[in-house]
Amino acid sequence: MPRSRFSSSLLLAAVVVLLSGCGSMRSYDGELKQTVGMVKSGSVTAALQDLEKNNSGKEENKDLLYFFEKGELLRLTTEFDNSNQAWMRADAKVHEWEETAKTSPEKLFGQVGSFLLNDRTRRYDGFDYEKVLLTSRIALNHIGNGDWDKARTEIKKTHEREAIIAQVREKQLEEAKAEAEKKNVKTTYKELKGYPVEMFDDPEVTKLANGYQNAFTHYLAGFTYEALGEKSLAAPGYRKAMELRPDLPRLGGALEKLDNHKQRPGYTDVLFVVEAGTAPARESMQIPVPVPLGQRFGVVSISFPVIHSDKSTAAPGQLMVDGKDAISLDSITNIDAMARRSLKDEMPGIIGRNIVRAIAKGVMQKEAGDRGGLIGSLLATAFTVVTEQADERSWRTLPALISIGRAQIPSGKHQMTLAGAQDSKVLDFTVSGSHAVVPVRLMSGSTYLMQSKAPAAFEPSTVVANAEQIAPPAASVNQVEVISASSERDTKTQSKSSLVSKKRKK
Amino acid sequence: MKIKHVSISILALVAALSLSGCETTGSSPEVSGGNVKYGDSKAVETLTNEFGSTDLQTIAEAMSRSMVQSRVIIAGNRPLVTVSEVKNKTSEYIDTKSITDSIRAQLLKSGAVRFAVDIDAMKTQTDELMRQNNSGLYKKTTQKKVGNMQGADYRLEGNITSIVKRAGDVKDVYYKFSLQLVDIENGVIEWADEKDIRKTSGR
Repeated sequence: MPRSRFSSSLLLAAVVVLLSGCGSMRSYDGELKQTVGMVKSGSVTAALQDLEKNNSGKEENKDLLYFFEKGELLRLTTEFDNSNQAWMRADAKVHEWEETAKTSPEKLFGQVGSFLLNDRTRRYDGFDYEKVLLTSRIALNHIGNGDWDKARTEIKKTHEREAIIAQVREKQLEEAKAEAEKKNVKTTYKELKGYPVEMFDDPEVTKLANGYQNAFTHYLAGFTYEALGEKSLAAPGYRKAMELRPDLPRLGGALEKLDNHKQRPGYTDVLFVVEAGTAPARESMQIPVPVPLGQRFGVVSISFPVIHSDKSTAAPGQLMVDGKDAISLDSITNIDAMARRSLKDEMPGIIGRNIVRAIAKGVMQKEAGDRGGLIGSLLATAFTVVTEQADERSWRTLPALISIGRAQIPSGKHQMTLAGAQDSKVLDFTVSGSHAVVPVRLMSGSTYLMQSKAPAAFEPSTVVANAEQIAPPAASVNQVEVISASSERDTKTQSKSSLVSKKRKK
Repeated sequence: MKIKHVSISILALVAALSLSGCETTGSSPEVSGGNVKYGDSKAVETLTNEFGSTDLQTIAEAMSRSMVQSRVIIAGNRPLVTVSEVKNKTSEYIDTKSITDSIRAQLLKSGAVRFAVDIDAMKTQTDELMRQNNSGLYKKTTQKKVGNMQGADYRLEGNITSIVKRAGDVKDVYYKFSLQLVDIENGVIEWADEKDIRKTSGR
């Protein structure tokens, strides 16, 4: 008897070691909290070092998330080329997923290992909204470099990607329904005691058409096609944005202008893209769930992911150009809500997998208790705690909210004032050509202007302008450097953009 | 007997060599790595419900055929036409330029119509003229003179619309492509035609 007890506990210990050894026990939320904190306090360089430290493995083993976050951090430093290099690696991985989705979608639905262990052991394929936003952000980088043609390629890729995702999800929905019926799993998230259901019932979430299409991507597509003089492609971009956000009447203006508006000579059509905060975190929450164990019911604690929103940064409702022209901002895409919507769509699958696993574990725990007495039972409990961590992975450096504003302003240097909840920030920016995009990122106290191609002598960290530092509109050291960087970009983009403007004049 | 046998086999060998020699010069070796293959570019495509290659081809074919047979084209002496805008009124990213390009190519091949440079190609056209005349690099006799471009007699314009409906598992899409030929001098619409396409898909 003592011998068999010993051997069974040994076996359990071995299983614990074996299972926890597969690298799945990394706390992504813990890692990224620190990295994001550094960006919020204005130190992107430190954040980049932190990211590298957490992903010190071999280059070929680095996962999609690493490239997502790296590209985003590099974009904040306006190193658009390096940022795109990282993002193209991510794009290659998403492309692999697409190829599987096209040829054998059933492979994507049942990554079997997770039924027994944990969602975190699944390969991270990225959420659908992340896949769509990836190409939009690569396009923004190309526009930042003044290369609208390359941006167009990425934007076209986005349409194709959306179509593939739509097809896969349709199929998956059907299979999930059939699977739930077969396994007789009827539990929905509404029946999980203590689970914060309100995060799904928010109108911001319920009004979304689906978990992957976002209006910003389509508006940006419209704007890019318009800048390139392709009206027949610009129109559906604006139209789709309107369909996705019917509550924003100002979006319709773009479509009207497309046909009737004449570009004023010497003016630039500017799209202000104001991004606030960071994408929400996924955290684990333990919830006791009753599962059938042989004859009776037992309660097994299962961890489910919950969304923890980043509320550190308020999105401004408008911005002022040169202290006089107020431009209204429409919060066109709420990534926070999209993350919640994605989780809501995933929940049936997560619940199904977890309950199947809970039954298996409950049986194991009971057996260990029966055979191994206290030690076996304790070990089994420890095993449950170790493995029961929900999947916390998601692209965290994405903004929580994307707002846009549009105006025609004279080409040249300007000052932008962003009225936030607590303080106002002043930024210098330059526009040229017929069309320009001016992207700004607000994160707690730090503001990042993502304009200009960083020249060699340009120290990326100086783009970070804390509100206190640049509160007086008179040029500080930071501002001058931002301007010089911007004007350098001007000369580069001028020739390309002026082509478009000349074309329009005819 | 034996000699005869050998000679026959030599003959066969020579014949085989000469024949296979012809063959190898005709076809290139194939490099294949998996499931990639070429298909018929005119094959009917019904992979999804969205606007596809078959729609583009049918529209371009129907439009160019109808226009070539119109009275104004037959009666006119190879009139000069320019392509104006075809508006996309759908919510789909349809590049109407590629449809009008196909129509133009088919009309040009028929020889019944000539085309003047459209707005999109205007910049390259004027740039080339300017370079020949202003750069001082070209021989006087070969310089193309400024002020000789021909104004088009007609302009081709149109739009594409769609009606999309979903009921249960069925998705129905209706496309309508309209094109018209307008006399630039007097504003008379000389020809117009429509091509409609219905696509229905179920799950």
